[in-house]
Amino acid sequence: MDKDPLILVVDDEPQILRALKTILSSSRFRVLTATTGEQALALAAAEQPDVIILDLTLPDMDGISVCEQIREWTRTPIIVLSVRDSESDKVAALDKGADDYLTKPFNIQELLARIRVALRHSTQSIGNKETLIQSGALSVDLARHVTLMNGNEVKLTSTEFKLLSYLAANPDRVLTHQAILTHVWGFEESSHLEYLRVYIGQLRKKIELDPDNPKILITDPGVGYRFKTYD
Amino acid sequence: MNKPNLQVIKYVVKYLGTIVLLASVTLVLKLLEPQLEIQLIALLYLLPVLLSTVLWGLGAGLLSGLLSFLCFNFFFLQPYYTFSVHKNQDVITLFVFLIVVIVMSQLIGQAKSGIQLAKKREWEATKMYELIADLAGMTNEQDILSTLRNKITDTFNFQKVEINTRGFPLEQTDAASLESSQQTLIIPMETRTTEIGEIRLGTSERELTFEEQRLLHAFGYQGALAIERVHLFKNENKARVFEESDKLKTSLLNSISHELRSPLAAIKASISSLRSGAVKWDTTARTDLLATVEEETDQLNLLVGNLLDMSRIEAGALLPKKQWNSISEIISGVFTRLSAQVQKHELVLDLPGTLSLVATDYVMMEQVFTNLISNSVKYAPPGTPIVIRAHNELDALLIQVINQSPPVPEEHLEHIFDKFFRITKSDKVTGTGLGLSICKGIIEAHGGKIWAENTLGGFCFNISLPLTLDGQLPSIPEDASNG
Repeated sequence: MDKDPLILVVDDEPQILRALKTILSSSRFRVLTATTGEQALALAAAEQPDVIILDLTLPDMDGISVCEQIREWTRTPIIVLSVRDSESDKVAALDKGADDYLTKPFNIQELLARIRVALRHSTQSIGNKETLIQSGALSVDLARHVTLMNGNEVKLTSTEFKLLSYLAANPDRVLTHQAILTHVWGFEESSHLEYLRVYIGQLRKKIELDPDNPKILITDPGVGYRFKTYD
Repeated sequence: MNKPNLQVIKYVVKYLGTIVLLASVTLVLKLLEPQLEIQLIALLYLLPVLLSTVLWGLGAGLLSGLLSFLCFNFFFLQPYYTFSVHKNQDVITLFVFLIVVIVMSQLIGQAKSGIQLAKKREWEATKMYELIADLAGMTNEQDILSTLRNKITDTFNFQKVEINTRGFPLEQTDAASLESSQQTLIIPMETRTTEIGEIRLGTSERELTFEEQRLLHAFGYQGALAIERVHLFKNENKARVFEESDKLKTSLLNSISHELRSPLAAIKASISSLRSGAVKWDTTARTDLLATVEEETDQLNLLVGNLLDMSRIEAGALLPKKQWNSISEIISGVFTRLSAQVQKHELVLDLPGTLSLVATDYVMMEQVFTNLISNSVKYAPPGTPIVIRAHNELDALLIQVINQSPPVPEEHLEHIFDKFFRITKSDKVTGTGLGLSICKGIIEAHGGKIWAENTLGGFCFNISLPLTLDGQLPSIPEDASNG
């Protein structure tokens, strides 16, 4: 019998720690807490948690460098939970290896959903990668290069498919603008955001029921896009 | 080298001219002598004296008088070609002539130098007036210094003009160093109370006249006054800004303490009720209380966000990260997020598929539309639609947020974007009075415009955003399909 997943919560606010510990425990997770960066690094190494929830403002070091140090030796999913809401902080954290980013105050349902996504990712990365990604009526077959809506093929240009498949291959994770631009168009360090805006608009017209109210290709304001598979 | 010679030539011309003039007059008179009475000749000799005094001044006049006296005696009084005089009558004529000539040339010379002085004074006054007129209303120290410098260069013929002030160390006309000029003149720039600096002049030509020196000192004084005025103006402005920001802080504190306490009160009341064992809450009541807590928390979060934004705008630290964004994407994102909260109004999106991309900060523009919709929700009657429309114009994208709220009096239309401006009493409507001023701050930081107008049966916010970023349009990928 598997043990319940272990979550390491790193935050210097005792109130947040207490609340998260209570809520996560009642959702059948085991919870470890750390209040400093040093403590977090030690616990991450000693206890091998399944998911790390990380605050960026820590008394001894910056959360982003904690993130960077953890990434030197493990792929354990990291969800950043911070009051810092500027896009540059988000992008910096994602670039340094964070898997997800939530700003305080946060909706606990959203946090639980992100934890489940992170857990699914970490189990997947051990076994074989899924090649058929589904979101509602849409399914993207990464191996056969086919996109289906309710079983009917959707005609996509090669660039559109490249974009969609990159997003779908990382379901429920924010991919930053720069990461997408580099992967799909090969733009390094250049901000050709207009390309992305145009192609996302086109894709939404083809795969979303209501392109003005997208349910699959979700904008993360100022940061990037997310291929959403859960409600 | 040439310039001192000019002075000598001037003297030579003056006196040589006098001599030549007199010689020619004597020649003409000698030729005409048989037809002329001796008294008439004396009278005619007054003419060259008059002429040289007018042309060349008092010195030349006196020389001319003396020479004509001698010539008259030598050529026309018997015995001819001697300086001796025989007839008593002739002696009297000669002396009368001498007195007349001297007095006349004196008088004319004085009148002439009087005119010259008046002309100099007028020139001085004109230059002063020009400088004062130019300096008046200048609010920039640098401008004042360069105006002063140009004026000095225009008025005098200095090789070099340097102005040293405390604010700007060196202000000079050309690269020629001061050593090349023969002397340096220093004019202080000071008012009665403060010393502003000094003007250093490299002169190589000649001594300055007393009037020129006086004018230069007056220039220095005027320049110093103008600079002092700028300093005083700046200080006064600073004081006014402090005073205003103080007032602002007070009204901000009043406003936010009310806005922060009401949600806190609701949260505290709900939570303490739920925790107290005194009452058994049924499921609906519990849900209601908890919903209150969540809503009020969101309200507090929004408020804190607004305050942060406002302080960034106030500090001039609002730097939009302009990237090519689709306004449709931004607005539909806002609609999706707000649809849960906006239940008494219908949100209508009316955007053509052909809208241009605009260079905007995605998150800031989200904030603008969130604030405009929240504002519409507060004032528009329940059940009415809130419509967002947009279209491309020649060089801008025009976006309109239209609601059916009652009209705003015309005189208030501009002020609704001011901080803490409220048309209605603040108890009726929640908010800090910051939302619209944040919108204005953001739109202006994007180089756009925002304004409000009453429409038939409603109210409309207009936003106009430039279509170009640094003069460039977005480079749309070539293989993108349209539509």
